[in-house]
Amino acid sequence: MSVLARSVGNAFRNKVRTAAVVAVLAVAIGLALAMLVANQAVTGKVAELNASVGTVLTVNPAGGQGFEGGGEPLTSAQAATAAAVPNVSSVVGTKALRLRNAADIAAEAASGRTGQGGPGGQSATSVTTSLTAAVDAGTLGNRNQAGTGASGATGSTGTTGSTGTTGSTAQAAPAFSLPITATGIGAEVDSTGKALQLTQGTGLGNYTAASTGALLGTTLAEKNGLKVGSKFTIQDKTFTVQGLFDSGTAFGNNALYVTLPTAQTLAALPDELSTMIVTVNSMENVDAAKTALQAALGSDKADVTQGQRNLETAVSSLDSVKNISFIAFVAALGTAGLIILLIMVMLVRERRREIGVLKAIGAPNRTIGLQFVLEALVLVALGSVVGAAVASLASGGIASALISSSSSTSAAATGQRGGPGGFPGGAGGPLGGASQLLTSVTASASPGVIAAGIAAVFGVAIIGALAPALLTARIRPIEVLRGE
Amino acid sequence: MIEVKNLVRTFKSGDRTIKPVNDVSFDLEQGTLASIVGKSGSGKSTLLSLLGALDKPTSGDVVVNGVSLASMPDGKLTNYRRRDIGFVFQQFNLIPNLSAVDNVMLPMEFAGVRKAARAERARQLLEQVQLDPDKHGRRINRLSGGEQQRVAIARALANEPKLILADEPTGNLDEQTGEHIIELLSTLSRDHNTTILVVTHDRALANKTDRRFRLQQGRLTEETARTRATAALTG
Ligand SMILES: Nc1ncnc2c1ncn2[C@@H]1O[C@H](COP(=O)(O)OP(=O)(O)OP(=O)(O)O)[C@@H](O)[C@H]1O
Ligand SMILES: [Mg+2]
Repeated sequence: MSVLARSVGNAFRNKVRTAAVVAVLAVAIGLALAMLVANQAVTGKVAELNASVGTVLTVNPAGGQGFEGGGEPLTSAQAATAAAVPNVSSVVGTKALRLRNAADIAAEAASGRTGQGGPGGQSATSVTTSLTAAVDAGTLGNRNQAGTGASGATGSTGTTGSTGTTGSTAQAAPAFSLPITATGIGAEVDSTGKALQLTQGTGLGNYTAASTGALLGTTLAEKNGLKVGSKFTIQDKTFTVQGLFDSGTAFGNNALYVTLPTAQTLAALPDELSTMIVTVNSMENVDAAKTALQAALGSDKADVTQGQRNLETAVSSLDSVKNISFIAFVAALGTAGLIILLIMVMLVRERRREIGVLKAIGAPNRTIGLQFVLEALVLVALGSVVGAAVASLASGGIASALISSSSSTSAAATGQRGGPGGFPGGAGGPLGGASQLLTSVTASASPGVIAAGIAAVFGVAIIGALAPALLTARIRPIEVLRGE
Repeated sequence: MIEVKNLVRTFKSGDRTIKPVNDVSFDLEQGTLASIVGKSGSGKSTLLSLLGALDKPTSGDVVVNGVSLASMPDGKLTNYRRRDIGFVFQQFNLIPNLSAVDNVMLPMEFAGVRKAARAERARQLLEQVQLDPDKHGRRINRLSGGEQQRVAIARALANEPKLILADEPTGNLDEQTGEHIIELLSTLSRDHNTTILVVTHDRALANKTDRRFRLQQGRLTEETARTRATAALTG
């Protein structure tokens, strides 16, 4: 008979009570483990997301982004300034153009609507092309484009208002064709800094030299019946399709890429940049580099943003899940510790006389204390086994419940940010992407995490059992002569 | 050699203080078999608890082989209880969910005796107190009062103590088994030089002891041949 054997025996002295204690402990421990699994899964996901947002900073002209807003354009000189900021490993300039189908512009001019579709932004004049957009305007497109177009239309109904013809308003709403985004890029990356996924053909080679090659989005090429080697025109210049890419979104695929100098020539704005894609040498330096970059360029001249905003939102909502699950883990762990504390206080009081007997026959205090701590650990071990089973059943449900409630709040947040037209490459992305990555969180419950959780439970149980165990040292051997 | 010097133990009950042990002094040579008799409530168990260092006296001291219990720190008192004392409690005070053998092994475990050795000795001791071998592995709460009493005696002998304090060790035993226990105790004092102090109501047992004490309202007197004669006369 050893101390351990005695402790195990004592843990089962009152079987009904042991079962009840184990059940309560199992709930607390199971909850703690489920929360830990959820926390670890989300932590892993956040790291993964951060890595995917990566080390890329985007520089836009202060007050402008894409074709929206105003302010002074960025220049090549600023790109050189950015490249000189510490920890910046590369700077890629882009020049965005808005391409309109030449035939559509002619038709619009004929219908009296001279206003160029869409808000002004940086490219005040349209660049014409032989290409037709791969995305139908649809309800959203018509509504968005109506911004400027409708003002012209209102003017015309105003003049014809006296006649009260409905025909003129009906005539004022022919279907729009959406513009095509052409981006001049200084490296083989898309406008968010991610490497282009070429599905056919080759890249453009040297992206910092003028070239008549172009990379087309898959759907844009398909719509226009173009293949690698086909030719099309931009502003009366002939371009050759050198490769096709798939960005993964319909909006992103209604786009084409040319080299940076080519785009600058087409826009007749040499030296001007729409955005700069700045890559930082490591994740840890991103925040510092962002601040340094902003300072170097001047906050009145340039806005520096990190990665894709929708991912930031997803990360921040995941971060709150991470925090909630961690707090719940700690709370459940604390509850388990408290249960142990109370049970052991009760047992010590109940076995006062027996502790007196042990002391009377010469048991050292530490032996008695150890016996009680071990007894507590036996209960916790049983609770952990049942709790781990409970957790493995419940953790999936708990994690997805946590995440679905928080992603609905993040959906509301990103929904407001969407705005007309969306961000380059981002349309349709934020919500779909976020919920996709969130649902994939639940699956991963590694044995390592469970083991770490159980180790934490045991740690807390030892702390919880220690106080009552130390209490036994104060019981005097004379208790043995007192009646029960 | 145990010297008891002016030992006093008082309890407060309400606004009254009672003195179950009131200025008790006596010496016992090593190897003496002694008995204490006295009415119920006269303070016999209280006196034994002071000698066994289960309780601390209000005043006075117990000196064991020259070492004063009053001056010992708690850790040393634990060692004293484990090594030097074998206590047979009036209420047995065995651990109810352990077997007879496990109970007897317990003091040896605390003394660091190897497992095989303590199991061996525990069985021998249980045989000495005439507990059926098939009851050695039985849990305490499934043994009769007399059986439990013998397990309690075996446990007290486990660490070969120098002083055995036995509170009514034959109270629950039939005459024959009681005789055997008395025989066992006197053998221990004679052959192993163990000092034994027995509290008893059993005249037969008291008569077999080397020295006899009587406790009356906390005061201890030794019975000599003369005092016993007067006691017999006065009833
Ligand atoms: N902790 C205590 N508090 C108050 N009074 C006590 C306490 N312990 C013992 N007493 C009292 O001290 C007196 C002596 O008790 P003790 O147990 O020593 O008697 P005893 O001689 O062993 O009697 P018995 O033969 O019935 O066992 C009794 O009156 C008892 O009520
Ligand atoms: Mg008594």
